[in-house]
Order: sequence, then C-alpha cells, then structure tokens
Amino acid sequence: MRGLNVALASVNGPGDVKVSNRLYNRSHLEVCYSPSTGHSMIRERALESVIMRTVEQAILVHLHPRTAINITIQEMQSDGLALSASVNAACMALLDAGIQMKTTFAAVTCCITPSGTVIIDPTEAEIQESVAEATFVFESSGEASVLTAHQDGRLSYEDFKKCLHHCQVASKDVFAFYRRMTEKKYQNEIES
Amino acid sequence: MSYLSHREMLGGLESVRVVLPGDEVMSYNPDSSGGSIFLGPGLRWEDGMVRAAKAGLLKKTSRHLYFVDTHQKRYIPQRREYVIGIVTKKKGDIYKIDIGGSEQATISFLSFENASKKTRRDLALGDLIYGQLIVANKHMEPEMVCIDAYDRAMGMGVLPAGGVMFNVSLQVAREIINPDCPFLLTLSKKVKYTVVVGMNGRVWVKAAHQNSMVALMNCILMLEYMTPDEANEKALKLLEALM
Repeated sequence: MRGLNVALASVNGPGDVKVSNRLYNRSHLEVCYSPSTGHSMIRERALESVIMRTVEQAILVHLHPRTAINITIQEMQSDGLALSASVNAACMALLDAGIQMKTTFAAVTCCITPSGTVIIDPTEAEIQESVAEATFVFESSGEASVLTAHQDGRLSYEDFKKCLHHCQVASKDVFAFYRRMTEKKYQNEIES
Repeated sequence: MSYLSHREMLGGLESVRVVLPGDEVMSYNPDSSGGSIFLGPGLRWEDGMVRAAKAGLLKKTSRHLYFVDTHQKRYIPQRREYVIGIVTKKKGDIYKIDIGGSEQATISFLSFENASKKTRRDLALGDLIYGQLIVANKHMEPEMVCIDAYDRAMGMGVLPAGGVMFNVSLQVAREIINPDCPFLLTLSKKVKYTVVVGMNGRVWVKAAHQNSMVALMNCILMLEYMTPDEANEKALKLLEALM
C-alpha cells in the first residue's frame, strides 16, 4: 500500500504444474495481474512480464524442479504507482509463503518534472505532467544493485542517474518496512 | 526410563534474531576457523558467506546447528519425516498418496507390517495413512513406508475410521508435538482422545463423540493465531462449555 495505491498479492507454491510447463531443473513461475477495473489487456500482460522477470532473479528456482510457483496480484486502487505497489506486494507475499529467495526486493517509482525536480512516489496527476517516469527495483544487499529498471518518457543520462540515486535512497524505507513487519510477525516467539 | 528432554537433546535452542532473505548470518571459511557449523533449513552458504534464504527467526543450538524457523503452510517433503497422507490412486502394486506437497508420494503394498506377496493390505481410495518418508528430495518423487527398519509398524499404518483430519500451519504441527509444549496434555484433562500429527501440517483427532472432536479441532486451530499460553485458557473454557 502506498498512499492511495493498494495491491493485493498472493503466492501459491511450490505446487503441481501442467506437463507442458514442467521444467526438469527449475520451478515454473507464473504471474497473474488483475486490474481494478476492466478486463486484463496488453498493459496487464506487460506488467506481468516485468514483475516475472524481477521475481525470477530473487527466487531460488533451482530448489524446486518440476513445480510451479503462482503469484497472483489484484490491483485494488491505483494512483500511478501500480507497478511498484504490485512488486512490493509480491515480495511480501513471497516472504509470507516461505519460498526460498536469494534476496528481498523493493520497487520505487519516481518522475521528473519539466523543471528537472525528481518526485518520489508521484500521484497519477504528477506523472501526467512529468517529462519522464522511472521505476527501479533494488535488491537488499549493501550496494542495492538494480534488478529491474522500467522507464517511460525521455530521460537524459544525467537525469537517469539522478532518479536512480533518489530511488536507491527511498528503497531503504521499503526494506525497513519489510523488516519491521517480519519482526512484528515473530515477536511472540522472540520473547519466549 | 530416563530420557534427555527435547531441549537437552538439541543442546539448548536459542533464538538469535529475525532474518530476511539475503541477510548475512556469518562468514564461514572451511579452511580457516576451528569447528564446523551445521546449516539447517532456510540457510545457504555461498562464496564463503552464510545467508538466510527465508524470512523467519534464526535459531541456533549449542552444537552449532543454525536454521531459520518460518511460519508457512506449504509442505516440502523431507526425508525421515512422519506425515499423514490420503490414498488417491492405485497403480498395480503401488498406491499414490497425497501428502500436500507438489508431487504425490508412492507407497508399495509391501510397506506395511506383516505384508507379503500373498497377504496384501488393501487400501481404499480416501483412506488416511500415517507413515514415514524414506525418499524425499527435489529430484525424485517422494516415497513413503509404514514400517521401520525392523519391519515393525511402530504406530504407522492406516488410521482407523471415525476420526477427523484437518490442516494446520507447519509451525503449529511442530509446536504441538514438541515435548516441552503441554497443550495436548492440557486438552486431555478434559476429554479423552487420540491424536496423530503429521509434519505436513495434517492433524487427525478421534474422540468418543463428534462434538468433542470438533471442539478439539477448534482448540488446536486456536494455536494458529495465539501463543500456547493464551490458547490454553481459551481451550479449557471451550472444553468446559462442552461438558
């Protein structure tokens, strides 16, 4: 949830898989994204593809050959941050399901206004007025390397670096949130 | 008969901290440092660094066994674990059993006490089996047996009719069979019952009356949301209301 952006994610797996999708050495990943209104169309397929390629880098797929891991994301409310809210929801769902991962990941979206200001977590209105919009997904290690980068609009190299830097700083908050939530979940056991 | 308590056997289990996937636990070089360490579920060793692979509570025993205790519902078959399965198919001499994992387990008709080629134990579809996994890895489909190494049943086999089976999260199943947790004993002070717990999150309960069985099921399900201490009081209240 990011202000007015709400996404609901659920993970099923590692479970049974159709013979046609069965892979001998790794798990088959499927992402299903449903928009809040209307039918699933090309935009949703594109989002699914971006989310899948991100998630694939984090999950240890070689531990579960001949299985399928299904990630289902329902967009509840969207105010411009559908992609980053969905990616973060997917990460939390994977943590909750106990699927083994190399790292956690966090998505941050920013946009650049015509005057050159970088706005982190813009609203839909701010994105409409911006020159370009960029979403970065970082992994949780010290250097926060980029797992996925998705841009819309014209970005000069300098602007790209500025956006990347701002998003990298903002991603620390998301990782801190994951840690707080996990600590809350296990707090009864830590005490005993 | 003397026996080591669970805690003594594990050599003092302690919770270290909450970890997320990718967190560095410790760096370990097999060439350098003295003793060896043992990595349990949820940890992996890569490039000299031990990292967590799951989100959960990192625990260690005094014998240098580290593992991550996670709350999850999906069962991943593990060798030597006792599980409850449901018979789904009969294929010649082999039965296919659903144990809640991604693949069905198989069990041969000879894997029961006193079974031989002449005296078969016929299982009906839908029967509940309590057995041990002897083969369970990511490369092969799991295999179960209902006898131990000396061909004795040791409590395994087909569960009698008339009980109720339900699913719980894996950590609840592990919690109730922990000898240090008195939950099941507390329940037994009010109701007389039989319980079989599978490490795949399946629990089978049988009591004299149907309403006792439903009450016991609800008591065990309370542990999903509460600590055993909180659940103890509520469970006793529920069972007293039953009398």
